[in-house]
Amino acid sequence: MRFMMLMIPKGYEKAEPGTLPDPKAIAAMMKYNEELAKAGVLLGLDGLHPPAAGARVSFSGGKPKVTDGPFAEAKEVVGGYWMIQVKSKQEAIEWASRCPASDNETIEIRQVFEAADFGPEIAKEERVLLKHMEENRTAIS
Amino acid sequence: MRFMLIVKASKDSEAGIMPEEKLIAAMATYHEDLVKAGVLLDASGLQPSKKGWRITFSGGKRTITDGPFAETKELIAGYTIIQVKSREEALEWAKRMPNPGEKDGEIEIRQLFELDDFGDSAAIDRFREMEVSLKK
Repeated sequence: MRFMMLMIPKGYEKAEPGTLPDPKAIAAMMKYNEELAKAGVLLGLDGLHPPAAGARVSFSGGKPKVTDGPFAEAKEVVGGYWMIQVKSKQEAIEWASRCPASDNETIEIRQVFEAADFGPEIAKEERVLLKHMEENRTAIS
Repeated sequence: MRFMLIVKASKDSEAGIMPEEKLIAAMATYHEDLVKAGVLLDASGLQPSKKGWRITFSGGKRTITDGPFAETKELIAGYTIIQVKSREEALEWAKRMPNPGEKDGEIEIRQLFELDDFGDSAAIDRFREMEVSLKK
């Protein structure tokens, strides 16, 4: 089972473009990331620039409309994520609990759809897509 | 530059209603176009928040709360990660995505940090080593 652990840092919705995490927090997080990697459960992880540097596209009436960040009405935003592969929901919760997060951070854990959830046809199409994505990643790195 | 196109949750996605065949087909075509352009790195859909949990941290204490979570508009239903040359290119691709919502779908575009953004440090070097091993 794959789970996405979404890091939601309070106040990040108002962070200035170019804001970086504190180096001490990065070092603590690094140790945690290494433990995930050593246990063989880590599939990927990333940090997201503040929403002030981002944009939203809404599709009301079928037409895409772009709004630049920051988003005044946002109450919470994602600051980063981990993708993990584990055997159970319990294992996902245990890993998330071990994160050296601070008091103003929340982690949301969400299971990821597998192609099989959508039926055999989609599963087949996804296998082809995954192969191409792998090729893109190899070509880029 | 890598960007994450975050598909925001809708009432349907939060209710666990699978998208109609028409939307799945349109999304498949869109992602095939991304592949053909050589910009697609990853994409996934998330199960509704009612099947998820949140963990809040207070000192050494952790509190676990079961989903669903109230603010549907702030929740995420899925994401697509692309590698492009500019923010404008990311926005162009974002505008081409099929409307992911029933009527008024929304996606959020956020640039991903690259390790070089953090400058040089021992901790960042360890990240670099880990990325190499993850890619294997």
